Amino acid sequence: MSSDKNGSPLPASFSCMRCGISVSTNTPSSRIRNHCPNCLTSRHTTTREPRTTDGRCGARMQPISIAVLRGGDWALIQRCTGCSELADDHVEPDDNQLLLIRLAVRPLAQPPFPLEHLGALWAAG
Amino acid sequence: MPRRNNERPGRRQPHGRTQRQKRMPGRNRDEYGKSFRCLHCRLDVSKSAPGTAHRNHCPNCLSSKHVDRSCPGDRASTCHARMEPISIAVRGDGEWVIIHRCVGCGDLGSNRAAGDDNALALTRLAVTAIRHLGSPLRIQLAIPPE
Ligand SMILES: [Zn+2]
Ligand SMILES: [Zn+2]
Ligand SMILES: [Zn+2]
Ligand SMILES: [Zn+2]
Repeated sequence: MSSDKNGSPLPASFSCMRCGISVSTNTPSSRIRNHCPNCLTSRHTTTREPRTTDGRCGARMQPISIAVLRGGDWALIQRCTGCSELADDHVEPDDNQLLLIRLAVRPLAQPPFPLEHLGALWAAG
Repeated sequence: MPRRNNERPGRRQPHGRTQRQKRMPGRNRDEYGKSFRCLHCRLDVSKSAPGTAHRNHCPNCLSSKHVDRSCPGDRASTCHARMEPISIAVRGDGEWVIIHRCVGCGDLGSNRAAGDDNALALTRLAVTAIRHLGSPLRIQLAIPPE
């Protein structure tokens, strides 16, 4: 069992707020899991920070986009449905790949300007 | 659509920091006036923009400055470091939102894309994740490794 910065033990599993499955906090990468690997949702009370500062709202945090970390790895960006706070979290190897891809391509599928007009500029680099 | 010029040579002042300090008397005008100077590409940016009440990012390079703490326009942060654009999210109504991360303190922020933002810079940001497909995704999509 792992523990947080204050030394209190963290639960070995949690149940997802959205899809209800029981999720182990252990990951293949040995980081502590914060989000559900099935639906990429987490509760806005984080295990990443000391309990003393954990005045989080407890609402559902939903995945909104993918960012790329310095080393090239993907990070999941989430927004809290309760307080609108943003958070980022490592993408784990056993996360739902289809949902990740959908998040990654969503901006291009819904561009606010016609991509047709960008073609030449894009090709020019 | 503004020209693509994020890497325009000579845009960045070689002694930006010193010059900024000399401009201190004018700082109030910068903070609360009608325009701000981009911390990244040094463009003079008008604060009024089509489609948003609080423009807080540069339409050229999409960089921002850490001035808001919890909601756009509250001006409650004292950090004031540069915030770099890291991702594009799409709202329920289809609107693009730029996600920023502060290079000073690591905080995240978001700001709606404005009508006169550099479309090429926005699109580049939008494809960043696809350009960095990790190996599990490449295997799943049957894309050969780079
Ligand atoms: Zn779930
Ligand atoms: Zn919250
Ligand atoms: Zn700029
Ligand atoms: Zn900051």
